[in-house]
Amino acid sequence: MSEGRSWRGNWKARLHERVRERGYTSLTAFANARPTASLVELAEELDRDGLNAVQVFSGLVAEAERSHQLTRLERGQLVRELFEFLPHGWPAVLDDANRFMVAKALSSWISFTPDVHQERARQVAATLLATPPPPGWRPLDPDDELLRTLLPDEDV
Amino acid sequence: MVDAKNSLDALTGTLSRLETRPPSFRNRGLSGVNGAFTPHLDYGSKQLPWLHGALAGVTAATQVASEVADPDMGLALLRMSGPRLQAALSGIMLLAAWVDFLNLSDVVLRECPAYSVEKLVVDMHRVQGLVEPSMTALASADPTRVEAVATALPELMSELTREFHFLREEASRAMERAGQVMAVTQFVEMLTMASAMKLALPRVPPAAPSTLSTTLVMGANGVMVGSQVVVSAEWVEMMRRLVQAGVISSVAVSAAVRIHAGMMMAQGSGDLPKGVRDALGEGPEVRAMRETGRAGAGMSEAPKHHVLPREHREWFEQRGFTGDMDIDQFCVRMEAAHHQAIHGGGDWRMGRMWPGEWSRMLMGALRDAEMLAGRMLTPNEILNIVAERMRRYEVPMNFVSWRGR
Repeated sequence: MSEGRSWRGNWKARLHERVRERGYTSLTAFANARPTASLVELAEELDRDGLNAVQVFSGLVAEAERSHQLTRLERGQLVRELFEFLPHGWPAVLDDANRFMVAKALSSWISFTPDVHQERARQVAATLLATPPPPGWRPLDPDDELLRTLLPDEDV
Repeated sequence: MVDAKNSLDALTGTLSRLETRPPSFRNRGLSGVNGAFTPHLDYGSKQLPWLHGALAGVTAATQVASEVADPDMGLALLRMSGPRLQAALSGIMLLAAWVDFLNLSDVVLRECPAYSVEKLVVDMHRVQGLVEPSMTALASADPTRVEAVATALPELMSELTREFHFLREEASRAMERAGQVMAVTQFVEMLTMASAMKLALPRVPPAAPSTLSTTLVMGANGVMVGSQVVVSAEWVEMMRRLVQAGVISSVAVSAAVRIHAGMMMAQGSGDLPKGVRDALGEGPEVRAMRETGRAGAGMSEAPKHHVLPREHREWFEQRGFTGDMDIDQFCVRMEAAHHQAIHGGGDWRMGRMWPGEWSRMLMGALRDAEMLAGRMLTPNEILNIVAERMRRYEVPMNFVSWRGR
């Protein structure tokens, strides 16, 4: 891990530049092409020493605000969190250890949800625990059917 | 990571065993003479609590480190215990030397009535004066002071060896003057036997240190002087792992090797032959790694910040972050701009709707995790979540204590 170099200089310009260099017109397009990558992985792929996960997420939020696709971004982020923390999909048995991993994934997602939607995110998390998805459930992109039911697009 | 942890465990075990030895000497003849030597005995025993404490702390930290699922966090926790392990390592060598002096004066008191008790009291007082400042610095567990003592330890041990030698000679002469010539040979034998701590005190005195240093080589069985193994290959391997993991410094390890080898007179520090240095993990790649580990250029002076928010101290205390795990132990050095950015200052963010401020984000995540888990989180689970967050915010995983330099 680099030591905070990602915060030096004009990192916003750096972020746009790296996205362009990789042939994408937007950060969102770059991220959409890697739907299960974690934010850390996205940042590392763009610029291992020069960018970090928080900057990438902040950039994604900014673009989603402009295109009114915040909910889609939130579904996308839940995909990334579940993929990272529940690599074998939704656990069949919610014993103490599994329940912690689920709690870690979902609380991580809530904290990386725009403020206005955090309460909704909490309800979704509670719903998932109360009426669990089938064992092994592991959404691979924001268009996952169950995810769209839980978090329908605002424009639809 | 697991290697470093196992090494640390083994070392802690070795130290604990050594540490329990000193008190057994207490019941010998020294306790007589109207208690004139009681303060000296007590001085030795008084070191035991902090050594015990340091080792217990190291053991606890190792325990937590092994339970934290996150490898980066595990290593960071091991590094936290480094200064205390180093202090214990040096402190036990020093204590062992002190116990040697206690033994010596015990023999002198009982077998050498010609040697004045008053003189012995003065001698022991002088020796304690030599030992005391370093011991106090080690007990403080302040990383900078501990490192300084570790560096100077070979010199100190050399001085103690000279004192030991001097006391022995004086005692023999006193006996000769008293006409007990027949007993002298036997007596010298006893004095030499008194130096029971083979770990700490080398052959007295180091005969030709400068030539010795050239013959110190890394052999298959460990570090050798001539044909004699000074420290075992296992020990070297253990140290190498700990140095590589950044748990203890190579300076301290080099000092230990030189003391074991009876090479305290060798000039300066870090002058071990290259083969031995490499075996101890002082190769260039390790040095480079430690540079980054310590956050290299300028960062060592950057201001310290709490990773676990201070305004929520009570919340963490209720979940076991007390004592060695106090939130003050989990600080990091960070440049002002970086620190400001993760606290949402300096207009850093791009979107408006996700402030991403560190303390609020972290506490939110931890509280939500508890709510969803339906119970309190354990310290390990908290650190597990914190480690993940630190990676996202690119907070260096190198903990320093809030107190101290």
